Amino acid sequence: MSTTAVHNTKWWSGGKSPFNLEYGKVMMWYFLMSDAFTFGAFLIAYGTSRFATNGWPDPNHVFSSYPFKAEGSAAAPLVFVSFMTFVLIVSSVTMVLAVQAGHHQDKKGVVRNLILTIIGGAIFLGCQAWEWTHLHAEGAWWGLNPFTNADGTHATTNFTNFFFTITGFHGFHVFSGVIINIVMLIMTLNNTFEKKGHYLMIEKAGLYWHFVDLVWVFVFTLFYLV
Amino acid sequence: MSHSYNAETYAAAKKEIWKITWILSALTIVELAMGFWMYFSHGTMSSSMVMFLKGTILILMMVKAFYIVSYFMHLKHEIKNMIMTIVVPLLLFVWFITSFLYEGNSYKSLKNRYDKHLQEQTTIKVEEKHHSEAEHEKTAEPATEESSHH
Amino acid sequence: MITEAVLHNHDVRGHDVHSEDHHEHHHHETFISKYVFSMDHKMIAKQFLITGMVWAIVGGLMSVLFRLQLGYPNESFPWLEDLLGKWWAEKGHITPQAYYALVTTHGTVLVFFVLTAGLSGTFANFLIPLQIGARDMASPFMNMLSYWFFFLAGVVMMCSIFVENGPFSGGWTAYPPLSALGDASPGSKTGMDLWLTSMSLFIISSLLGGLNYIATVLNMRTKGMSMTRLPLTIWALFFTAVLGVLSFPVLLSGCVLLIFDRNFGTSFYLSDLFVNGVGALPNEGGSAILFQHLFWFLGHPEVYIILLPAMGMVSEILSVNSRKPIFGYMAMVGSLFAIAILAFLVWAHHMFVTGLNPFLGSVFVLLTLLIAVPSAIKVFNWLTTLWKGSIRFTPAMMFAIGFVSLFISGGLTGIWLGNSALDIHLHDTYFVVAHFHIVMGVASMFGMFAGIYHWFPKMYGKYLNNTLGYIHFWATIVGAYLIFWPMHYQGLAGMPRRYYDFSNWESFKDSASINAFLSTIAMIVFMVQLLFLFNFFYSIFKGRKVTTKNPWESNTLEWTTPINPGHGNWPGEIPEVHRWAYDYGKDGKEFIPQDVPLGHDESQH
Repeated sequence: MSTTAVHNTKWWSGGKSPFNLEYGKVMMWYFLMSDAFTFGAFLIAYGTSRFATNGWPDPNHVFSSYPFKAEGSAAAPLVFVSFMTFVLIVSSVTMVLAVQAGHHQDKKGVVRNLILTIIGGAIFLGCQAWEWTHLHAEGAWWGLNPFTNADGTHATTNFTNFFFTITGFHGFHVFSGVIINIVMLIMTLNNTFEKKGHYLMIEKAGLYWHFVDLVWVFVFTLFYLV
Repeated sequence: MSHSYNAETYAAAKKEIWKITWILSALTIVELAMGFWMYFSHGTMSSSMVMFLKGTILILMMVKAFYIVSYFMHLKHEIKNMIMTIVVPLLLFVWFITSFLYEGNSYKSLKNRYDKHLQEQTTIKVEEKHHSEAEHEKTAEPATEESSHH
Repeated sequence: MITEAVLHNHDVRGHDVHSEDHHEHHHHETFISKYVFSMDHKMIAKQFLITGMVWAIVGGLMSVLFRLQLGYPNESFPWLEDLLGKWWAEKGHITPQAYYALVTTHGTVLVFFVLTAGLSGTFANFLIPLQIGARDMASPFMNMLSYWFFFLAGVVMMCSIFVENGPFSGGWTAYPPLSALGDASPGSKTGMDLWLTSMSLFIISSLLGGLNYIATVLNMRTKGMSMTRLPLTIWALFFTAVLGVLSFPVLLSGCVLLIFDRNFGTSFYLSDLFVNGVGALPNEGGSAILFQHLFWFLGHPEVYIILLPAMGMVSEILSVNSRKPIFGYMAMVGSLFAIAILAFLVWAHHMFVTGLNPFLGSVFVLLTLLIAVPSAIKVFNWLTTLWKGSIRFTPAMMFAIGFVSLFISGGLTGIWLGNSALDIHLHDTYFVVAHFHIVMGVASMFGMFAGIYHWFPKMYGKYLNNTLGYIHFWATIVGAYLIFWPMHYQGLAGMPRRYYDFSNWESFKDSASINAFLSTIAMIVFMVQLLFLFNFFYSIFKGRKVTTKNPWESNTLEWTTPINPGHGNWPGEIPEVHRWAYDYGKDGKEFIPQDVPLGHDESQH
């Protein structure tokens, strides 16, 4: 098969997929588009509320702790969340390695990389649980905001409201992604894909997992950095 | 047909994945560096500089998103039809974001203009009200009670 | 590049294997697998249709009840209390809380359950596989789930009618703070929780369905069925699905934030309000307008989700029954596309007087008025399709022509309402009620009726009774205009919508006789719909049998299947397509179906 053969095909003439993709993958892509609008709406609502409010808390001040931090040691903003970000990026890498291994019928590679991805997802969820617990202990929750605005004035509760809602919704996606990956792992170990002759299912799970990573890129930037 | 893969393409694919990993890590480190820069020069940095750095971070965010979608999600290797059906609808976000944020900003200026009390309130400095665990339970009670009969 | 080509090839095979799967299915079927948890797209379509009809009756009956109050505010109907109980009709009067509950549920049910699920659910399921030449939807299982999620949404909505404080009563748009505060009104308590649950289930249903429709139209077209050979019905249903998939999630987000405001003490939409009987709220910093933005980001595309399927079916039916090709096929597709894009850009025209920034409002005026262009293209193309046609006035054709008429009448008032300056006077009056009922409600209903009359022979292998069809058509179109035309004048005179009783206002006393007239007509029109239902169910069992495969002498593929197609649609090979769907009156032949190969010196379309 050469490049020209690909380009001369009449993709839209019927009898085949115009994208050269099976329907499941097309559906997964459009599902993710739809989910992008869910997250987009959340983040845009957050931005709108922020633009509509005088002052906003300083994320460097709010998110300045990390586990096992000694009492009285210097505040370290961004450190913990950077760790979480890297965990998620790395788990995305192992996921794409699992997908590639699937393409090449490399069952061992699929299993190894899926396990690593699941571990990465679990670590991320653990970190999020720790952060939520920590903030809760500081008095932050839905409807409760102990922090002041960056300029020391009184802040509304919408900072914590949006933080918990959006990271919670993202965490829920990570959680379901981990469950999906565990199912994929079990199916791989049972040789389900080996018998089918292809690992297309893993590709779809992979798309979902990368999407979760993608959303975190936005959540991370918009809540912790700017 | 899928069996016609060979070790060579497998290795090439892996190489590409690692390349993207390094790019994503580097971008994140640059973002973090800017974040720290803003943090350590807190108060001394001019607001236009802060705006510039935040803008840059947002652009880098889009670049990261581009790499994840193109390579990890493999969109760049799909045929053009597929790429277009994903990218074109995303353009709807342009007006979605612009009008929502514009509207938020307008809501703030209207409130500040017509609700002078609110505007004054937002200039008074207050203490942070951090609680110990026990205190927190107490303050949380009425809030949950109130919300429960909403 | 070599890698990619190889990589992609095995993907396509997945698709072929899949379609072969369906050959085998239809041998061992039980009652449950055939009629209840069916995975046959035709059966699922019928499930959507009949459930939609049940909801249409419920929603229509509700409008009869509140029209009773509006038309005869001083009369007492003691039998109503016997029938509905004290909460709804104390001393024979519809109570205020019942009035608002009825108006809200009428809107929600008609917009979402009847005109979204009942319309695109029915015809997308029924027509997509049949007209593109596929054995079933891409994922029959998800298709089945889509129906059952819709069914569950309906069950929850039905339950909300029977809870202690009644169903939600703050209008189908569910604006906070009314919807966010349980203390604001009786219906904002359990009724609203159930409303939100029902909507969430409905969003899942529409997502499952929409993804399936998109994937099927793109991936499962038969050989030769290029996108530009698709019948316009399919194009319209395709864009409808895209609109749903991209806009419903935004409503979901808006609803999630609303749930937090209701139950978890957040202030997304709430600020420092004072509520009678409760006192000052602790909330601060929220904006009620934010919800309106999120709601209408769905809400406006929703209008087109309702309208586009009707447009598609009407285009097809007009062409078949005029025995002429559709005028300007590509312009029709282009205008559908333009409408789909613009649907996402104009939402704030529902909010001109809510405190929206006036400059932003003016941009929304511009974008809104742009919709007039593709709409006008469509109208002119329908009219030119009819022009000099040899028209067959079947009931389906009557309803299709009626749709065009209603779309014009309702569309023109849209140009008024799209102007933010005029909206200062017209907003929240009966002018608005008249506008959207004609252009979205009745027009789409007409599209749906046209579709039912036209495809009933394919659905059940029987004909509907024509005489009853004509009575149904004339009574409905005359009735619809009699009801909604005077409402324009009421609105221009400043009569606000959603008022319970106008008799207390000196300025609206004159309208009492008009209101009584409108209510009477509304009841008659409702009765006529029951006649249609009788026709529908009677004809399923006792209707005249269809004896020919292609009773309307139509070109599209569904008429090449057996009269009662089984699961899998075509007993043998799926036909290959050689031409577009609109070769009527070409080269002296009255019609040339899509699966007929091109003749020697025939030009290709």
